[in-house]
Amino acid sequence: MKFNILRDHLLAGLNDVMKAVSSKTTIPILTGIKIDVTNEGMTLTGSDADITIQTFIPVEENGEQIINITQTGSIVLQARMFNEIVRKLPTNEVEIEVTNGVATIIRSGKSEFHLIGSDATEYPQLPELAADRQFTIPTDLLKSIIRETVFAVATSESRPVLTGVNWKVDGDELICVATDSHRLARRKVNLENLPTDVTSVVIPGKSLNELNKILEDTNNPVQIVLTSQHVLFKTDDVLFFSRLLEGNYPDTSRLIPEEFKTMITINGKSLLQAIDRASLLAREDRNNVVRFETLENQTVEISSNSPEIGKVEEQIQVESLEGETLKISFSAKYMMEALKAIDGQDVVIEFTGAMRPFILRSVADDAILQLILPVRTY
Amino acid sequence: MAANIIFHLDMNSFYASVEQAHNPSLKGKPIAVAGNVKERRGIIVTSSYEARAKGIYTTMNVAEAKRLCPELLLLPPDFPKYRAASAAIFSILRSYTEIVEPVSIDEGYLDVTDLAKTRHPLQIAEEIQQRILHELDLPCSIGIAPNKFLAKTASNMKKPMGITVLRIRELKEQLWPLPVVSMHGVGEKTAKKLNSLQIFTIGDLAIANERTLYKELGKNGVRLIKRANGIDNRAVDPNSIFDTKSVGNSTTLPRDESEYYILKETFEKLSKSVAERLKVKYLAGTTVTIQIRNYDWQNSSRSKSVRNAVQNADEIFEIAWKLFTDYWDETPVRLLGVTVSNVVDQSELTQQLNLFNFEQHIKDEPIVQLVDLIETKFGKGTIKRGVRVKSKSYASKTSFSKDFLDDHMK
Repeated sequence: MKFNILRDHLLAGLNDVMKAVSSKTTIPILTGIKIDVTNEGMTLTGSDADITIQTFIPVEENGEQIINITQTGSIVLQARMFNEIVRKLPTNEVEIEVTNGVATIIRSGKSEFHLIGSDATEYPQLPELAADRQFTIPTDLLKSIIRETVFAVATSESRPVLTGVNWKVDGDELICVATDSHRLARRKVNLENLPTDVTSVVIPGKSLNELNKILEDTNNPVQIVLTSQHVLFKTDDVLFFSRLLEGNYPDTSRLIPEEFKTMITINGKSLLQAIDRASLLAREDRNNVVRFETLENQTVEISSNSPEIGKVEEQIQVESLEGETLKISFSAKYMMEALKAIDGQDVVIEFTGAMRPFILRSVADDAILQLILPVRTY
Repeated sequence: MAANIIFHLDMNSFYASVEQAHNPSLKGKPIAVAGNVKERRGIIVTSSYEARAKGIYTTMNVAEAKRLCPELLLLPPDFPKYRAASAAIFSILRSYTEIVEPVSIDEGYLDVTDLAKTRHPLQIAEEIQQRILHELDLPCSIGIAPNKFLAKTASNMKKPMGITVLRIRELKEQLWPLPVVSMHGVGEKTAKKLNSLQIFTIGDLAIANERTLYKELGKNGVRLIKRANGIDNRAVDPNSIFDTKSVGNSTTLPRDESEYYILKETFEKLSKSVAERLKVKYLAGTTVTIQIRNYDWQNSSRSKSVRNAVQNADEIFEIAWKLFTDYWDETPVRLLGVTVSNVVDQSELTQQLNLFNFEQHIKDEPIVQLVDLIETKFGKGTIKRGVRVKSKSYASKTSFSKDFLDDHMK
């Protein structure tokens, strides 16, 4: 194998696939990045067995020659080392040559590196996903769906399935749900060509976070293929595979209340800021608890009281307040994250009682729903 | 500012002395209070001075003690008796000053600075010692010094029935020549570490490099240097006993154990007694720690902090057992312990509800609403959940437990 490539393109590709490479992997070859050079261009693959990212760099793009191929071939190079070397090469012209099977030479300007690679045939095969049943989501919509749900996944491994986001197909609706059991985030979106064979998958939260980092803010479509064990996200030059989480995702739909006793419409931003201020006196080891109380004259009060620190009270005018009076305590952290996910002007908050879950949604629709379980105080 | 005058009072072989006071025929005889006599866990908790003269010491195995001193009289511990004696001692102390800080069932500090303006401290100490001897038939030693550390050191210097004054200017002769291990606050492990740093006597410690010791022992290292120089700024705090920081129980197994179900049962029992004690104290904690000592006397501990403070046996057991099963490599186990720390009063408790348990809490909703209604109408604090009935727990039965301190609550 022998080819020349422009360093900035190589670096951009490496940057993406490096996100999948983990130093903690138990499979030694996965500490490396696989390079495949064909007459069409160069493919880079990085993986930690759960996530696999593949980028393609074409020989030519927009009339610019990026790669000059002398001889095709494949090699696996130590990911971290290769990445650092490419980053520090002296010129934008890079020549990579593999001789004697795995001996690799990287030349740039007057510097020459000799690296020992690994045999590319030892690198695990990518899962074969039949692409006949795929659907598409615009990149920016996919990014918001991730942002609006993934923060609510569980971080502890005690119920592994909750560390993922459940994507469920219901007719032409995709319902994405994440919960750590203390709060829940749900995003519904109408899409065409949704699969009918695989209707519920759980995508690891970590995979979605990494995917979100790689995706650029465009409205180009992302093609998505769901199978029973894997999900594939495909853009023009990146393939992102993720293993799915095993196990049944709990049915949370029946836990979302539908009848309410206290309904409030409030400016999301001013509530977020008031909670943020009150949380300054809330203690993390006491569940970050802040109190929320309805008062008369379309007002609510946010307060926090830690005997050994101090207390804070703040009243906010609401847009509307209907139903019973209410005193409830909840985690400031969950409330702020939920408000940030809704990200609208006015937010509707609907309560059913001090020990029952309450929901937040935008005034406009219930495409985004956030549910929070209160904190019980004694 | 005139120097403070602090007493440290230490009862002499307390449990054994109480037994002798209750049954004068035991006086002058080698007696010992021991745990379960039949099983290995039977160790000497306290022995009379007559027994000590024969080489009996605390923590000694019962069988070994019997071999060494066949006429040794072994008595099972009688905690209600000891608690009553302790309460009587502290009420004598409180008749002198309110600034009394109980440290354990048989030991406490007094700040007599004020009292000493009108009477000589030695005279006060003698009177206290005599009153405890005549009224309760119990011997004690008293240390007199300008601070807690020196007072504690002094009370240890002459036993039984000693009264020792330790002045700062006497440190050099009295304290500095002693090996570090004899200093209060230095255990075997710390002593070993100090020795490896060429610090052998308390005098060596007094002039040790602060930075080196900080690196090796952390804050405690710096504290030890200060103590060796006779510096200790801790006030005698009568309320310190009410700040329970943790509640724990441990047990020595009848034999080196590697049987899964027995270990599990042991954890269930320990969790139950810790839970019972937490309940009596109205406490709940967010950290659960387990202690394991293996057949080779190697100690280890593992802990986990949780979001919602725990108080129930089931919750404590679940965490403790998981910690154990995650850690245990099947090495035979000699001792197990469970501790709940980071405790708070249960009125400060907060509990993050979750999707799968909130329905259990809903049944309390009407009560909470009623309490709210009454509070809005009549003011906060007019009604409280649950009655704080004074109850006593004997779930902890060792001399190291501080549960006796609950007796000091009024």
